[in-house]
Amino acid sequence: MANVYQDLRSFLSTLEENGQLVRIKEEVNPEPDIAAAGRAAANIENAPAVLFEKVKGYPYSVVTNVHGSWANHALMLGMPKTASTKEQFHEINRRWESFPVKPEILDRDKAPCKENTIDKPEDINLFEILPLYRINEQDSGFFLSKASIITADPNEPDNFDKLNVGTYRIQVKGKNRVGIQALAFHDIAIQLEAAERKNERVPICITVGNSPLVTYMASTPVMYTQNEYEFVGALQDGVPTQIVKSDLYDNLYVPAGSEVVLEGYIEPRVREVEGPFGEFPGSYSGSRRQCVITITHVTHRTNPIFENLYLGIPWTEIDYLMALNTSVPLYQQIKRDFPEVQAVNAMYTHGIGCIISTKVRFGGFGKEVAFRLLSTPHGGSYSKIIIIVDEFVDPFNLPQVMWALTTRVRPDKDVVVIPNCPGMPLDPSSYPAGMHSKLIIDATTPKDPEPNPREVELLEPPVGYEKYETLIRELMAKM
Amino acid sequence: MKCPRCDGNKIEIIATSPVGNVWEVYECMDCFYSWRSTETPVVHEKFKLTKEQIDHLPMIPPIPPLDK
Repeated sequence: MANVYQDLRSFLSTLEENGQLVRIKEEVNPEPDIAAAGRAAANIENAPAVLFEKVKGYPYSVVTNVHGSWANHALMLGMPKTASTKEQFHEINRRWESFPVKPEILDRDKAPCKENTIDKPEDINLFEILPLYRINEQDSGFFLSKASIITADPNEPDNFDKLNVGTYRIQVKGKNRVGIQALAFHDIAIQLEAAERKNERVPICITVGNSPLVTYMASTPVMYTQNEYEFVGALQDGVPTQIVKSDLYDNLYVPAGSEVVLEGYIEPRVREVEGPFGEFPGSYSGSRRQCVITITHVTHRTNPIFENLYLGIPWTEIDYLMALNTSVPLYQQIKRDFPEVQAVNAMYTHGIGCIISTKVRFGGFGKEVAFRLLSTPHGGSYSKIIIIVDEFVDPFNLPQVMWALTTRVRPDKDVVVIPNCPGMPLDPSSYPAGMHSKLIIDATTPKDPEPNPREVELLEPPVGYEKYETLIRELMAKM
Repeated sequence: MKCPRCDGNKIEIIATSPVGNVWEVYECMDCFYSWRSTETPVVHEKFKLTKEQIDHLPMIPPIPPLDK
């Protein structure tokens, strides 16, 4: 049974016990210290989470880089902190099979997130609850970069499968007023459009500081009708995640262990300037007119911990968060139709770059697999550079992928550019924003009926190499 | 006080430090740029906005037509 966390605090304790959390006890300035530590942590191999105990002018603490290393990622899954990326990929896939695992719904008085309640909108002041700070210098304000946001489908408000738990950037615009980015291809945009067509408010809960797998699933591109909480239970190896009913809305459920829950509504048919914001492609998005949320009700734990993440030129925390949680759903969606697919590495900029290893059934099969990626909901917009390799190439081993590219690709027939496709608008090479071309590189070995006039035999390792690998490691350990 | 981004003069104090009297947070009510009194904001030319630009920024997502 994997170690399971029902809140952020229990995970922080595990990180600390494993030497994967450091505390900054001295008082720091909100700017630039917290973001600077986020960047610094990302520069360190197997970096810890960084907890700031005192932030100037604020009563509460901040933690950043919670997901920001493969060691922390492994501990999130209850695995040894030395587990390799590939081992973690396969373990997540194994657990994925047990979806759906129904969440456990707690009574209100059992849910830690309800310890304190602010029920009058005029009494809400986000700056008194969250130690807000600027993440990147040219950001237009103070952002929540790691909140898990809960909304329902206005046309089927009680359909739990369509309850959406997603991560969207939030700009704080006042004591109880925030902006949100809802891009057209995001699940929340489906719900927003349905409500705005009727000029109705969208009920919303913004939860801050969650168990690591809630945050993980909120940023995972699953299908619209797949409930994220039911995936959290699956990734907890069958242990249900604990949720509780929102105070304002009977059909919205929030993580019971959340540090802070902000409840309110998206104002229909209103757009206001939002951004710029330093985004995951390592550059700023521009300013756009985006949606606005009014917060009317808050609950929070006593002494809440503000969890937020730093985004910079990759790799930073967000790249660890979005690495395997992009790879696994794409793998699952593709292998449903193509069981020949062995693994998907979509770790590069949220799947903009993607490497797939597959058995090849017949000539052109590699391209067919690439087309399937491009017809998944996430891959369709995000994926742009697609590399297909043979089954014997490990897509997580980039030197091996380079070997496949250098020895398998004939550019005149294996490299294809498809123009005028959907693109990820935050990718600065997308123009107009939201449109892009797709590059497919088929690095698989040709198979009938495609000619392979220079068929080769792969080199095999000499007999007994495993014995020597062990011996050499032992000798090195003694040096 | 003027907005460092759009030169607007509708600036509001949206927060004062909950502990001590060590900072305030200001926000421009025209372009919603916000900054803390302990910062010295330098908005790059690329990110500055005029009133006309504010009114014509792209909308994300577009507002759909009302159902009939």
